[in-house]
Amino acid sequence: MSNIRRQRILDFGAMFSTTGGHLAGWRYPGANAGTDLDVDEAIRLARLYESAGFSAIFVADVVSIWGHHLDSLSRTTRASYFEPLTLLAALSSVTERIGLVATATTSYNEPYTIARKFASLDHISGGRAGWNVVTSVVPLEAANFGRDSHYDHAERYARAAEFVDIVTGLWDSVADDAVIRDKESGIYLRNEGRRPLNYHGEHLASAGPLNISRPPQGHPVIFQAGASEIGRNFAARYGEVIFAAPRNIEEALEYRRGLNEALVAQGRVPEDVRVWPSLSPIVASTHAEAERISEQLNALLHDDVLRRAIQDNVGDVDFSDFDLDAPLPELPESNRSKSRAAGIIALARENGYTLRQLAVRYIGGSVIGTPEEIADRIQEWFEAGAADGFNVSFPYLPGAAEDFIEQVLPVLRARGLFREHYGDTFRQTLGLDRPDWTIAELEASA
Amino acid sequence: MTLRQAQDGALRQAQDGARTLHLNAIYSAAGGYLGGWRHPDAPARAGVDFGFIVEQVRKLEAARFDALFIADLLGVPDSHPDVLERVATVNDSLEPLTLLSALATVTRRIGLIATASSSYNEPYTLARAFASLDHLSHGRAGWNLVTSLIDAEARNFGLDAHPEHDDRYRRAEEFLEVAYGLWDSFDDDAFVWDKDAGRAFREDGIHRLDHRGEHFRVAGPLNIARSPQGRPVIAQAGASPAGRAVAARHGEVIFSGARRIEDAREYTADLKRRAAAIGRDPDEVKVFPLLSAIAAETREQAQEQYALLKTLLHPRVALGDVEYWLGSVDLTTYPLDGPLPELPVSNQSQSAQQQFYEAARRDNLTIRDFADRVSDAEGIVVGSASDVADHIQEWFETGAADGFNVGFPYVPDSLDSFVELVVPELQRRGLFRTEYEGATLRENLGLTRPETLRAAKVADVA
Repeated sequence: MSNIRRQRILDFGAMFSTTGGHLAGWRYPGANAGTDLDVDEAIRLARLYESAGFSAIFVADVVSIWGHHLDSLSRTTRASYFEPLTLLAALSSVTERIGLVATATTSYNEPYTIARKFASLDHISGGRAGWNVVTSVVPLEAANFGRDSHYDHAERYARAAEFVDIVTGLWDSVADDAVIRDKESGIYLRNEGRRPLNYHGEHLASAGPLNISRPPQGHPVIFQAGASEIGRNFAARYGEVIFAAPRNIEEALEYRRGLNEALVAQGRVPEDVRVWPSLSPIVASTHAEAERISEQLNALLHDDVLRRAIQDNVGDVDFSDFDLDAPLPELPESNRSKSRAAGIIALARENGYTLRQLAVRYIGGSVIGTPEEIADRIQEWFEAGAADGFNVSFPYLPGAAEDFIEQVLPVLRARGLFREHYGDTFRQTLGLDRPDWTIAELEASA
Repeated sequence: MTLRQAQDGALRQAQDGARTLHLNAIYSAAGGYLGGWRHPDAPARAGVDFGFIVEQVRKLEAARFDALFIADLLGVPDSHPDVLERVATVNDSLEPLTLLSALATVTRRIGLIATASSSYNEPYTLARAFASLDHLSHGRAGWNLVTSLIDAEARNFGLDAHPEHDDRYRRAEEFLEVAYGLWDSFDDDAFVWDKDAGRAFREDGIHRLDHRGEHFRVAGPLNIARSPQGRPVIAQAGASPAGRAVAARHGEVIFSGARRIEDAREYTADLKRRAAAIGRDPDEVKVFPLLSAIAAETREQAQEQYALLKTLLHPRVALGDVEYWLGSVDLTTYPLDGPLPELPVSNQSQSAQQQFYEAARRDNLTIRDFADRVSDAEGIVVGSASDVADHIQEWFETGAADGFNVGFPYVPDSLDSFVELVVPELQRRGLFRTEYEGATLRENLGLTRPETLRAAKVADVA
């Protein structure tokens, strides 16, 4: 199937939470608190995003509590949340068109399990599954899976590459036209349409075949967020939609340029890969009112939360005794997400921030303004090629999502930049090719 | 009778100590009979057709089934290609936890029991997924813990062969102990959501596990609040000595493959005795033998439907099923009318293999006899609603069963006839509920909600 390139149109993914993405969002007046496991609120939000024309719901994840220190963790919503694949399966049956993107780590799962779960979600949802491939970053995750420490950076990406090769190989272990279910002859699956994988890598092995027919999308859509050099090369090899967190449009354009070079080096077409930077909007009828909301939210951040938010992202140094109102001290290199740590440290150095200023900027890094101002910002990035869409995190709920949908989206619609554009599958919504795989192709490749 | 009266009646019956019959649906989307997918009325895509599955599960819920149960394999068996091309379920089924999560939001009361293997999963992953399902379903999750069966599963997870029988049961028990600990990571009342103080949960309400055992090292805590049922209901199907020991220690719902009533009575009594011997209340151990049924308005109609069904099974597939249960062996080199060959002890399912040999000795059976038993769907109850209800009543009232794991040879017809004919007959006899007793699976099964195991408090989780 050849890709008939649609007119370029904005995609929005909703970074899913029922209490909002801001660490103090749950404390905001009128905001949801204690709804992290409220399935009815999750359904309401999923349907809200779908009715607004969002392309996807995206569920981030770590396989541990999301923070190392009780003084901070006990003041956030990061200790208790749904597991992404069960949540998205539950939402798949009460939505019809929106994409469903679950995070799953290659470091602490088995590829056969992941291939099967995403294939199942793709079947159940009628072709709406997406997989955000991560390699895990939080040290606590390793300790939940029998390891003293996390795989080092290079090793976990090597394992991740084998993992994705196995998963896609398993999705291709049964050809599209192999499952004929012919009641008359009694043949359910043509043997010539099945190809075991027999993969034996350095880190992983799996024989296959998968025990489910090929997913409606062929492959669920692969999402990735690698930003370090090794991560970006990984994204260029496998990613179809790339999450990025650039601090400004120059960084975003620089990232896109580097990604395009890496894509070409992999023999891929840059236009086939979408980049969705993150966006946390606070919209109000005046700029001053939006500023006031942002300040009110940031004032609800407890000192312990501010301190640990930076500590947990830059390395293995104890921040307990750091003065929040002094500059960020010198820090050693970390085995965690290298790009994230470097970005945070650079943010502090470039602006001469105190630890408090840095933490508020990092946590509360929202795009603030009137509907027109936020639409301007989105338009600027989109038209400059810095973004194909945005991964939108709403600081508090309800409120922030509704305001964005009711006030910003109409402006973007009026400017011809956004409209509802659901296809029959998530791939079609995104304008991505389906990787077809027939018995004829299988036999030709043998 | 109003809904309220029905609920009061059901609760009163439970409080009076009267035994309540339980029905669990073992649902195979393409039908439980190997040729069931070929039935003229069965939708061919049934295995992955979620809309069709939802329709069937809603019928089961309207009939007040306790739970829906999904069996599972983690791979395609090493059967002969001539067999594999003719079977549906092992080639084309939805992963159970994903399927049941999707069903959680379109059903309200029916329990959701997923099979998951302790041999090819990590305890943190499964403890989390089941807790998540329990929250999503408002307390309807159950976990059928299996240790997996076949080498084809092992090879999908980087191993050459399936782990040895007794070792995988030791791993299973440690796996469960870790899961219990993880499910109790938060106290039931840990979360306070105090906006003014900025406090989401009490620092002394969260606990790390720090499990270090033979098979696992797991720090915890789990990243999800204690679930509505405290723990999902634990289902188990151990039949070998090692399996029975695990089932007696941990199982709350026990699936049994016993086909004869005397075997079922022995098994039920043995499981309850074993449970009592280690201090468990035998009433908290519910035994569910398999019941596969074709019911119709009359016995003759049921026989006609059964006769049609049997024509749908290819003889090679029937033989393939015998090969599978003997441990994925090849019987094609042995004479069909000769005896079962002497084969090494199966590392797959010892109890299944033993059942074959015992039957062969007892009844002097040939290979062909066994293949015929598969195509005859031996053990299937064929008859009028009254016939099927008689079977259920006899087993239930004579200590062979607390409930049944009801299988449907082909869908939707054999499911429809069960819920439309057999369930009303059971209700007329006062054997089965007309309204759910409670909101959670535990409440409907008459199982208590476990207290947290935890006593020790820790200062920090890092």
